[in-house]
Amino acid sequence: MLEYAWLIPVFPFAAFILISLLPRRTLWWEDGAVYAIGGAIGAMALSFLVIWDVLMGNTLTAGAPRFEWLVVGDFSLTFGIWIDQLTAIMLLVVSVVGTLVVIYSGGYMHGEGETRRRYYAEIALFISVMYGLVIADNYLLMFIFWELVGLCSYLLIGFWYERPSAAIAAKRAFIVTRVGDIMFMAGIIILFKYVGSLDFAELFSERASQAVPADMMVLATALIFGGAIGKSAQFPLHEWLPDAMEGPTTVSALIHAATMVKAGVYLTARSYPLLVQAPESLLFVAVIGGVTALIAATAALAQNDIKRVLAYSTISQLGYMILGLGAGGYLVIHGGSGAGYSAATFHLMNHAFFKALLFLCAGSVIHSVGTNDMRQMGGLGKAMKITSLTMLIGSLAIAGMPPLSGFWSKDEVLAAVWHAGEFDRVFLLLWLMGVATAFLTAFYMFRMWFMTFAGEPRSDYHAHESPKTMTVPLMILAGLAVVSGFALFIGEGFKDFMDGSITGLLHGGHHESLADVAAEIFSDPLTYVSLSLAVLGILLARKIYYVPGFDRSIFSRGFNGKLQRALENRWYISKFYDDFAVRVVYALSVVADVFDRYVIDGIVNGFAYLGGNTGNVFRKAQTGDVRSYTALIVVGICLLLILMLYVIPWGGR
Amino acid sequence: MIPIEYWLVLSSLLFVIGAYGVLTRRNAIVVLMCIEIMLNAANLNLVMFSSYHSTLHLLPDASGQVFALFSVAIAAAEVAVGLAIILSVYRRYKTIEVDKINILRW
Repeated sequence: MLEYAWLIPVFPFAAFILISLLPRRTLWWEDGAVYAIGGAIGAMALSFLVIWDVLMGNTLTAGAPRFEWLVVGDFSLTFGIWIDQLTAIMLLVVSVVGTLVVIYSGGYMHGEGETRRRYYAEIALFISVMYGLVIADNYLLMFIFWELVGLCSYLLIGFWYERPSAAIAAKRAFIVTRVGDIMFMAGIIILFKYVGSLDFAELFSERASQAVPADMMVLATALIFGGAIGKSAQFPLHEWLPDAMEGPTTVSALIHAATMVKAGVYLTARSYPLLVQAPESLLFVAVIGGVTALIAATAALAQNDIKRVLAYSTISQLGYMILGLGAGGYLVIHGGSGAGYSAATFHLMNHAFFKALLFLCAGSVIHSVGTNDMRQMGGLGKAMKITSLTMLIGSLAIAGMPPLSGFWSKDEVLAAVWHAGEFDRVFLLLWLMGVATAFLTAFYMFRMWFMTFAGEPRSDYHAHESPKTMTVPLMILAGLAVVSGFALFIGEGFKDFMDGSITGLLHGGHHESLADVAAEIFSDPLTYVSLSLAVLGILLARKIYYVPGFDRSIFSRGFNGKLQRALENRWYISKFYDDFAVRVVYALSVVADVFDRYVIDGIVNGFAYLGGNTGNVFRKAQTGDVRSYTALIVVGICLLLILMLYVIPWGGR
Repeated sequence: MIPIEYWLVLSSLLFVIGAYGVLTRRNAIVVLMCIEIMLNAANLNLVMFSSYHSTLHLLPDASGQVFALFSVAIAAAEVAVGLAIILSVYRRYKTIEVDKINILRW
């Protein structure tokens, strides 16, 4: 079964081709939605078969069938598929979220008219290339899909390209992630230089780790993680993601939950066998993750756009995953335990479900109210019962309330970071940041919920519940957000399952029984620290934004006012890029332009003039007079004869 | 048997006469004739060396003479082409003076 996994991306890709090329009258319902849904469901069905096979303990890694893509002399480049537990988790996320988002789009994009065809084509391609990225067995193939994912996100963020803000946001997303892509490329070039191959099977082997010097390994892994910084919107390249909210909400849901930004986390997790050889890179990964989690959570506090709050929460949660992966690497090196790795991937899966849920809920609200601004909402709970309830579930899940999914994975991540503190003190600081983030997350999520659904309407609108095509995916995702956390206790347990994909790195596999896992969570006092902080955050949000009588004007006075404005302006990071970095780059490009125009072009033109002028001199030799040619030939032959008869036999003696 | 030097002197003379004609004459037809003389000097060498070779080594080898035959056949074809070119040049420029036909230049 597993060797047919390469067919998974083919289904949505076929949908992309069909939607793009078929005549308009054969597109049926919603201008091509049928094909997109069909492609997504086909891929999902196949993904589930593959996931089932992986659950049964089969993987297809080093021995997968490959085909030759490029042969240069002795070197041949082969592409194949790589199916292990990590792939299975990603397949699950992409297939479920992707399919539900496409179905939901059928309702959400109803008013878009003919442009829906472009929308469905692009979204099918997006899902297809994300599948491709996930099953690639080779950094080069992965990079190709990585770039295609970037392209699709550009197209979809700029879906309403006639709006200048959307066009700018699309360009911004593309260019900022490109910074990361270049680092990724540099990283794989370094690896290729030392190992001579980009296949995972080769790179993760013993031979490769001996071939790469330790300092180069640090550089290469840090650069590869640089790709993840761009794609997963980590500090300092995170500002494109909130701007990417200019696209349709469904696209945001897809980007945030399943495709684009998860690619960075996936890349980091996939590169684990390399990362654990470079502890410095792991520390870098963890610090970036922790800083991102906290900065994004604080920036989310003051946003009034419902989608921007969610965008910052995504960045913050991605920071958690990255932090978990960094800390997990330390646990692998020092303790031989995959706890951090499994925690981060677990959070990846859970986050996919509740974040897709939250975004689709936000989409449902926007669809109904017609604005993104939470200050104009309020009181929607009465009109939109399903949406408000499912969003409440999503908010509770992301805030980490037991027994919803977010609680389990967030707690696992924080526990992994705490344990990594035994090996490096920095992790204790990062743990504090993580706990602070947990508090802030609960606060801003419920600020959002109370501002949107509770209280009285603050502007004039006629809210109505969304159609079935939209609410059904919401309910499915809400169900998943509730239950996906229990994956920790299914079968052999999630931890054991995920350990399978890095089994070569773990020494002395100590098996925890599932009862131990649960006991560990509930007997650890740290669990109650983060849990009580989260509850506190919710209560605080309720006090400030729901219970009447709280004077919110203190946020605009004195130091509080300064802080508030800094938060509203997202710590001025975006402003910094616009005012400073862009100018620096512009000045550099002016210099480069002058250099190109006068030096590079000068050299090229100089050679052309040189050739032309030399030719002008020598062409006079062509007189057109046959007899002078003949004379020259005869003289030449005579000279040759003299040379051969007298000079060469004489030999210079 | 005639000594080989005689033959060599004869063919050298023929060749030099031909070369002299090519260098000094302006009429394209005469130039062509001179080229034929040079060609035949070479043919003469081929036949002569072939004959000497088979006599000295007592081998019935006539490959040089066969080459000379080929060469004669090809020379005939070449003359046909050359005369055709000269004819069309004459039709175009009303002259076959090689000094006057010099448009193939810079």
